[in-house]
Amino acid sequence: MSGFRKLIGKSGFKSVISSILCIIAGIIVGFVVMIILSLFNDKINIGDAFYGLRIILGGPFSSGTAKYIITNLGDMIFYAAPLVMTGVSVALANKTGLFNIGAPGQFLMGTLGSLLVALNINTIDKPGLSVLVWILAILVGAVCGAIWGCIPGFFRAVFNVNEVIVCIMTNWIAANIVSWVFGEMPHLVNKGAGKSGYLFTTATTGNSTPKLGLNNIFKGSYIDIGIFVAIALAIVIYIILTKTTFGYELRACGANKYGARYAGMNEKKNIILSMAIAGALAGVGGALYYLCPGIEFKFDSAYAKLPDYGFNGIPAALLGSNNPIAVIFVGLFIRYLSIGGDNLSSAGYNKYIADVIIALIIYFAGFSKLFRDIMDRRRKKEASIIKADIADVKKDAEPIIETSEAEATAEAESNVSPDVQPVTGEEVDQ
Amino acid sequence: MSEQPYVIEMRHITKIFGTNKANDDITLQLRKGEIHALLGENGAGKSTLMSILFGLYDPDSGEILKDGKPVKIKDPNDATALGIGMVHQHFKLVECFSVLDNIILGKEDTTMGFLKKKTARKKVLALSEKYGLHVDPDAIIEDITVGMQQRTEILKMLYRDNEVLIFDEPTAVLTPQEIDELMQIMKNLASEGKSILFITHKLNEIMEVADRCSVLRKGKYIGTVNVADTTKEELSEMMVGRMVQFAVSKKDAEPGQPVLELKNLNVKHPVHKKPAVNNVSFEVRAGEITCIAGIDGNGQTELGYAITGLEKPDSGQILLNGDDITRKSVRYRTDNGMSHIPEDRHKHGLILDFTLQENMVLRRYMEPKFQKNGFIRFDEVRKYSDMLIDEFDVRSGEGSDTIVRSMSGGNQQKAIVARELDHKHDLLVAIQPTRGLDVGAIEFIHSEIVKKRDSGAAVLLISLELEEVMSLSDRILVMYEGEIVGELDPKTTTVQELGLYMVGAKRDDGKEGR
Repeated sequence: MSGFRKLIGKSGFKSVISSILCIIAGIIVGFVVMIILSLFNDKINIGDAFYGLRIILGGPFSSGTAKYIITNLGDMIFYAAPLVMTGVSVALANKTGLFNIGAPGQFLMGTLGSLLVALNINTIDKPGLSVLVWILAILVGAVCGAIWGCIPGFFRAVFNVNEVIVCIMTNWIAANIVSWVFGEMPHLVNKGAGKSGYLFTTATTGNSTPKLGLNNIFKGSYIDIGIFVAIALAIVIYIILTKTTFGYELRACGANKYGARYAGMNEKKNIILSMAIAGALAGVGGALYYLCPGIEFKFDSAYAKLPDYGFNGIPAALLGSNNPIAVIFVGLFIRYLSIGGDNLSSAGYNKYIADVIIALIIYFAGFSKLFRDIMDRRRKKEASIIKADIADVKKDAEPIIETSEAEATAEAESNVSPDVQPVTGEEVDQ
Repeated sequence: MSEQPYVIEMRHITKIFGTNKANDDITLQLRKGEIHALLGENGAGKSTLMSILFGLYDPDSGEILKDGKPVKIKDPNDATALGIGMVHQHFKLVECFSVLDNIILGKEDTTMGFLKKKTARKKVLALSEKYGLHVDPDAIIEDITVGMQQRTEILKMLYRDNEVLIFDEPTAVLTPQEIDELMQIMKNLASEGKSILFITHKLNEIMEVADRCSVLRKGKYIGTVNVADTTKEELSEMMVGRMVQFAVSKKDAEPGQPVLELKNLNVKHPVHKKPAVNNVSFEVRAGEITCIAGIDGNGQTELGYAITGLEKPDSGQILLNGDDITRKSVRYRTDNGMSHIPEDRHKHGLILDFTLQENMVLRRYMEPKFQKNGFIRFDEVRKYSDMLIDEFDVRSGEGSDTIVRSMSGGNQQKAIVARELDHKHDLLVAIQPTRGLDVGAIEFIHSEIVKKRDSGAAVLLISLELEEVMSLSDRILVMYEGEIVGELDPKTTTVQELGLYMVGAKRDDGKEGR
């Protein structure tokens, strides 16, 4: 019992539990939406709502025959890779106290860089070279994303311009650049089969992401080793953040930039570096997505719409509590529900219901702190009854005085620039 | 006075956290109209006891009586309903609201959904008149002084017709003048029949305003005394459990070479760019404690920022061991022998969301001892942190793994002092090093600083506490409106004379004071 108690006390465990509560709450409310829809649509009855919920929760496993299940599982994994990358990108920036809403732009610049390499070099006759070109394409994608991430980082660090504003502007600049650059390269445009505005895929140049036989396991799917790249990078970022002096500096700058300055850290350098790495990660996400031979890039309308993968990194990071390892699982989970959504038509629902549920889960992720607080409070009540081994209750107990009853105050305080408080010194920065 | 009935009684309160008895059979009786001080070291259980009274914790045993009737206080709303109000050490105000808005927040009277601000304003003005609480109801909180913010908090309690007022270390953030005003306000409140619980570890303040004083030590109730019948020494012995030396015992200083030299330093205020430090020149010699005294807001903060590298000075020169560091980074200064106990422990001194051990190496994590190829050697960090915790008696829930935010202010300060004193240095810049600490801890830190001095370090102390200035320093420089207006020898000067310099009534260069 006391071991279990200790486990509950760990903040990591609490994050996991609160994320699971978010998911359950999101699914319940989503289910209510499905029931309401069934009341207003003659073609759907209430029974379909239950059936539909089962389909969504089944994810790829509700695809009918074994063949489709396998294909959809493979696709789920493939689509998760870019999502994990943008999720880790946002999470890393968050740890440094920055909101990287520029992931879509960085994703696009990664796409641009990697496709320029992969489509301009033809290795179809030299299979030995194709892996090298693939690696080069990923690296160039990463560099392009990094440069794009640097821009908001630089403005934030040097001129103290809010990174959100610069990120949004660079997003649209990236979207236009991509349309323009590929528009100037007619030799990359696929004019066959009555299509317009699409580029060739890496299938034509032989530089696609290796599959290493995964396509034999998940027959008919897009799967390739992209997911391994994404998982490896997520782990690397996790190690950097938790084990290295560089990660220590990044986290310090994020948690208290004045403290970081006092410690002698170069906070400007860290802000720029953090955004550059975040940009590189999102850029790799773009590269991994479009280096798949099955995915075509529609460049001629790219200027009009930002890629969903970029924005979906934000909820992935949020639901994963900014932990890169957790983001891996969150990425897979979001894709799991989406695939379930694709199967929804058999219950009469539109596939976007899955998006609604995902959106609800993310919405509830905003409440995860509330769930954590509830857990803290319940444990405190227990603590006074059961005199168990709970030295760590003390740690939770003390700050609650400030958090619980002064939430609103603290919130308001955090919006106020701390620069103007030279006298009091004792600001509550909850 | 002693005939007055008890308005609040807390009988045999026990509260256990795990194996730790935070409150062990504590009885506290508050009479109507008295100022009752609650005295204890950092971590003695004062905050826990007040949290129980305020409904934030359930006691494990014991009962609370209001006007002789047992009551159950389950949350702060119950406490408010019973007329119990609290001014927290860290104020709970909405910074971008006006004073009036903050006072009525949570108890808004409305007609048809519209705020009745006029009536509220009348009531607030009447209250501030009655108790001498001067505030401008329309001022925005972030623009007013800490003292005024505190008065807003007090008005908040009075507006709710609270009878029992709890002040949690109210003087920790105030200037000496503001403290005097607060003492007067508390006396006014008591004479109007309000009952006041005054949590503090400043003995002078207890002697000045309190009628009775209850002392806690390590969670246990030690006793209650009439302040008129006791002495500072007796109180401190009750609190710490042994005799405390108020005067710092130290040999005469043996000043050596100048370690820190300032030449015509000018610093502007980082936000509104007004000159904050004007043409300041002095030197701090090895083996000597040089103290900058002055009333808060006379440029000491900016001077400290410039010396430690947090802000760039406007003009002038700063030399450390003869090396010009005026434009050098914080890291360069640290590496070249400067330790820095910052004024603001939450803003600068600590990363509150980091663990204690991560904070213990905040300025040293890049040393080869603590990292290898860019990877932090967490085993070494832990060993070092455990060593400092042990040596400086830093108390926390989970030792090195404690999140610093959850530690008490005094122990946070001790962690900073431990870190900075252990760092090898030629110059120690200590700004308000004992802020918020109890006498036992102050005594310890003072003796450590004197040890550093005796081992040949130069110490620059910037302090607002007159007592600390007088007892610890070897040489006093008084700062007034950004200038050094006098140099005094603590052995020959008096507090009164120091005070004259501090308020600008006297200065060495013969210019006419105001």
